[in-house]
Amino acid sequence: MLRVTNVTKKFGALTAVNNLSFEVSQGQVFGIAGPNGAGKSTLYNLITGLYDFKGTISFKDQDITGMPPHVIARLGIARTFQIPQTFPSLTVEKSIEVGSYFGSQKGFDKDHVDTVLAFTNLAAKRDAPTGSLNLLDKKMLMIGAALATRPEILMLDEPMAGSNASEIIQLMDLIRRINQDLGVTIIIIEHFMKVLTELTQTLLIIETGTEICCGDPREVTSDPRVIECYLGDSHD
Amino acid sequence: MDHKRITILLAVIWAIVALLPLFFGGTNFIMHILIMCLIWSVVASCWDLIMGFAGIFSFGQVAFFVMGSYASAIISGQFGIPPIFAVFIAGGITAAIGILVGLPCLKLKGAYIALVTFAVHMILEPVLKGDIGRAIGTGGTRGLLTIEPMTIFGYTFTTASPVPYFYLFFLVAVVCSVIILVVIKSHWGTAFLALKDSQEFAICLGVSAFKYKLMVFALTSFLTGMMGGFYAHYVGMLSTRMLGIDLFVTLMVILVIGGVGKFPGAVIGAFITIVVNELLSPLGPYRPITMGAMVVVLVLLLPDGIVGLFERLFSKNKHSITH
Repeated sequence: MLRVTNVTKKFGALTAVNNLSFEVSQGQVFGIAGPNGAGKSTLYNLITGLYDFKGTISFKDQDITGMPPHVIARLGIARTFQIPQTFPSLTVEKSIEVGSYFGSQKGFDKDHVDTVLAFTNLAAKRDAPTGSLNLLDKKMLMIGAALATRPEILMLDEPMAGSNASEIIQLMDLIRRINQDLGVTIIIIEHFMKVLTELTQTLLIIETGTEICCGDPREVTSDPRVIECYLGDSHD
Repeated sequence: MDHKRITILLAVIWAIVALLPLFFGGTNFIMHILIMCLIWSVVASCWDLIMGFAGIFSFGQVAFFVMGSYASAIISGQFGIPPIFAVFIAGGITAAIGILVGLPCLKLKGAYIALVTFAVHMILEPVLKGDIGRAIGTGGTRGLLTIEPMTIFGYTFTTASPVPYFYLFFLVAVVCSVIILVVIKSHWGTAFLALKDSQEFAICLGVSAFKYKLMVFALTSFLTGMMGGFYAHYVGMLSTRMLGIDLFVTLMVILVIGGVGKFPGAVIGAFITIVVNELLSPLGPYRPITMGAMVVVLVLLLPDGIVGLFERLFSKNKHSITH
């Protein structure tokens, strides 16, 4: 469904993403992990068109390399951000309408906005200003606005960051429902290995923009190279 | 403030303003001040739309106003086009320049946009006074002294009988404020606010920053340029003196008093500022200082302007917003 081929991104002398290739197939939950600064968020910025890069990215056999972000969003790739992004000038409902109005190929759909509000447990707070929401609700809203675009792929950037145990359980449940009930393919960047091993079918580990390994999460997490990059070299 | 309240507030303001000639219609001097209030209410509202709503720190609003005024004066004077058409052509020319100025601003953020747009303001005076200006008929340093008066259906407006002129400007100001209101209410307004709050997230939800930012540049510079045209035909003479700091500061004061991003605050702000400015005229050279001191006090007491004060009063009564 999403094919990333030989993608490289350099910021001056720094190579943030180094000749990376992988493929995400339809319906799966695809995990991406790696130490801080490994290039995970940069990779998201490349896929969603925020930065230019070398290599090709295709979505449903269509080359989306070099397309502007709002066009990529309308094709069916939605994302969230590591630092929750909301629109403080808008209410909860209006924020979700932004996704439906501008990002959905089917056009604005009031019923779908209501469905999304219910799905993300925000129906009771629909008229609240987004600034008044707590962190979990802000994350829910960010996911809700992304869902309102009727995405085929939802890319989550560290959705669990800063959340406590019960919030993590709620968010994991939401992600499962998005994947299974709505049939949306999910790519997730996460540090919590437990979340990744429970949710994902394929796990990609990157370090300094390079692939360490990719495959079944249980095999990947026991791979010595992954343990080395997470815990350091045991040999002197 | 929700859209319903904005509409009601705007309707109340315009209803009051419409009745003012009943009281002051006989005094030309006061009518002139009210006409100025109407003109600056539109220019300040446009500035508020681009800066307060869309979050683009454009400091080119006075420049667009002056461009529009010169364009309309030159078009009507040199090509014999009736002023009522010339003002719209002037608006179109200003909108085109607005889009050109907007293009580099797409790549810039915050204060850098202010620098680029203010550079347009700075460049304009030497251009209008210099060889290029003289070549297109700006009259150079002398300016334009004989501008065609506004004529509609054979009726020629004159400053000697200001009441019809007042209602002409009233009509234009009402139409402009309704256009701004409709834009704020529509999905354009939502797109402007979303792009202001978080551009990255907004574009990843499908909002085209390119399209909506250029739209706001085009719309605000069109209305401002058109108003500049009406102004030119009203006062009958133009010079680059308008590009001085006075007018720029007055507009800024209007926005601060009305409340940035608090439409129709700019309309209220225009009437208060222009009237207070005239009332202070006996102070002579101390007027700008007094005005400045008042602004400092107002910013400290009313950070969101007059409309912000209304909002606070309303929300206290309703207990609806509890942060």
